[in-house]
Amino acid sequence: MIVGTANIEKLAESAPTIDHYLKDTVEFEGVTCFQMTVEMRKGAREAVLPPGLHPTIPAAISFQVWEVENSIWGPFTAAICRITCRSGVRARGFTSAAYVSVEEVSKEFAGSFGFPSEVADIRFRHSYDGVDIQLIRSGKEILSVSSLDPEPMGLNDVQYTGNMNLAHTPNGLRLVQLEVNHAATRVERLTSRLISFDPLAWGNELLDPYHMVSSSIASETISIPPVRFVCKPDELAFTGTESI
Amino acid sequence: MKFGIFFELSTPRPFTREAEWRVYHNALAQCRLADELGFDHVWVVEHHFLEGYSHSSSPEAFLAAVAAQTKRIRLGHGAVVCVPEINHPIRVAERAAALDILSNGRLELGTARSSTWTELGGFEVNPDDTKKTWEEFVRVLPQMWMKDEFEWQGKSFSMPARNVLPKPCQEPHPPMWVTVTSPGTELDAADRGLGCLGVSAAGYEEQERRTKEYHRRIKLCDPVGEVINDQVHTMNFLYCHEDYRQARDIGIPMVTSFNIANAHLYWTREAYPTNAYQTLGNAGIGMKPKKPASDDPSVAKGLPEGVGVGDPEHLAQTIKRWESVGVTGINFLLNAMEMIPPEQVMESMRLFAREVMPQFQSAEEREAPVYSPTTIPDFAQGEI
Repeated sequence: MIVGTANIEKLAESAPTIDHYLKDTVEFEGVTCFQMTVEMRKGAREAVLPPGLHPTIPAAISFQVWEVENSIWGPFTAAICRITCRSGVRARGFTSAAYVSVEEVSKEFAGSFGFPSEVADIRFRHSYDGVDIQLIRSGKEILSVSSLDPEPMGLNDVQYTGNMNLAHTPNGLRLVQLEVNHAATRVERLTSRLISFDPLAWGNELLDPYHMVSSSIASETISIPPVRFVCKPDELAFTGTESI
Repeated sequence: MKFGIFFELSTPRPFTREAEWRVYHNALAQCRLADELGFDHVWVVEHHFLEGYSHSSSPEAFLAAVAAQTKRIRLGHGAVVCVPEINHPIRVAERAAALDILSNGRLELGTARSSTWTELGGFEVNPDDTKKTWEEFVRVLPQMWMKDEFEWQGKSFSMPARNVLPKPCQEPHPPMWVTVTSPGTELDAADRGLGCLGVSAAGYEEQERRTKEYHRRIKLCDPVGEVINDQVHTMNFLYCHEDYRQARDIGIPMVTSFNIANAHLYWTREAYPTNAYQTLGNAGIGMKPKKPASDDPSVAKGLPEGVGVGDPEHLAQTIKRWESVGVTGINFLLNAMEMIPPEQVMESMRLFAREVMPQFQSAEEREAPVYSPTTIPDFAQGEI
């Protein structure tokens, strides 16, 4: 059983703070959700995860970009980079970085959900022939993806896994289990190409996505229920899980 | 009721050459002992790249060694991954026939399509296609074994007329099986006249429902070959000890370790959007030890429901329960990551064979050739 080896103190420096847990479900409507999975090389497999999580073999990154038309905070676009992993026996993604197009929403993402979010210019073009995504932070491109050939899929053909967001919480420094529900009304699979990726901007210089696995785009409603569990980042979920 | 053992050849870290050597040779010793004790089947899986969980990428080579070192036990080659990028169907037919000859007609051929991205992605397989290629494989293999001239124009492969050689020893051909992880695959097995090789244990009630439907459907089947194999085997764990506390304390961590390793596999559905994999294929989750009902006598012993870990009395009760829901065989995983020292594994097998197996099979049954829906010719039954 292999586990992460990342330095928790170093991770804690960039972890956001959740002052109090939300009591109600937050819903985003009119969402266009792009998801892309890319394999990473073995060198980063354990080094990018805290010791409470287990890497997958092969190691992989799962990107999500949400373009939200309607939320309690208004429209926004968010991009989230997750390292595929296991928490106990559950399939999860450890969030290494997140960007949001609107500053106020970025603060909510950090303070309500524990995303280590910052503000960036997120360009998300989706049309009948494909998808183009570009993220610019402080004038520098940190991600560029081009996707072609959308192919209709069944509504349940895409799997989304929950997030593990490292945050300073009322329980202490914890991995917050965020169960994001995706209710899709339309799903398409795409053929994608990763044109540029700045590993430091996405949370760790060791991140090296090199082999494209898959990508999809969906029209959906996203709901994020209140956090039910948090985990100690340096302890396996079997013993280190706390209920809220 | 038939009893089998099965091997993932799981290997503890660090993956030294010696660690793998020990895993293989401990398993071979367990096969020899199983043969002596009257176990009926040994199944060896095919997996690729699954670090720790399974280092069994060439089961045909392992089974050739088993064939040479045993006399009665039947050899479960399975399941063979029926995907042309991983195994060309002609090579599957050839290897299986050779194994059948070398084992004097003891081969059982399991078929599967792989459910991890680690494997499918490693061979650059399109997950959308694996159900189709599996279907093609199970239909052509019996023909390759039976026809002197076989030709094929298919989706996953084509070939001009050739005589695929050698032919297997069993007539008309070895029994075939399908591994069943996802609910519904047992019906695919039934409709094609294939044995149901369960690799994830459902609860008793769910298994009863599935088994009943399997037996109903297989009576109406359109068999892919000339043999209808209507056996339903399930997967379980085995650790048997006179003292249930010791059985529990040693066996349950082994079960848990296997289940965790299984849950850590990178399932295709998680990585790749497709309608060909509707569940995570997560066998381990399904095999989690269940808490027994409050009226179950094992409650006081803290033994899980349905799992082959306990004292002989508990195991006999557990197997009777599986038998009552229509299961015709149980294949036991004996160890995981070599957590249990090999001598203790062998002791567990001996105790099980001495105390439990006789409650389900007579001594004569255990010495006679293991049941097969095929015919083994006389020439293969004597000493050469």
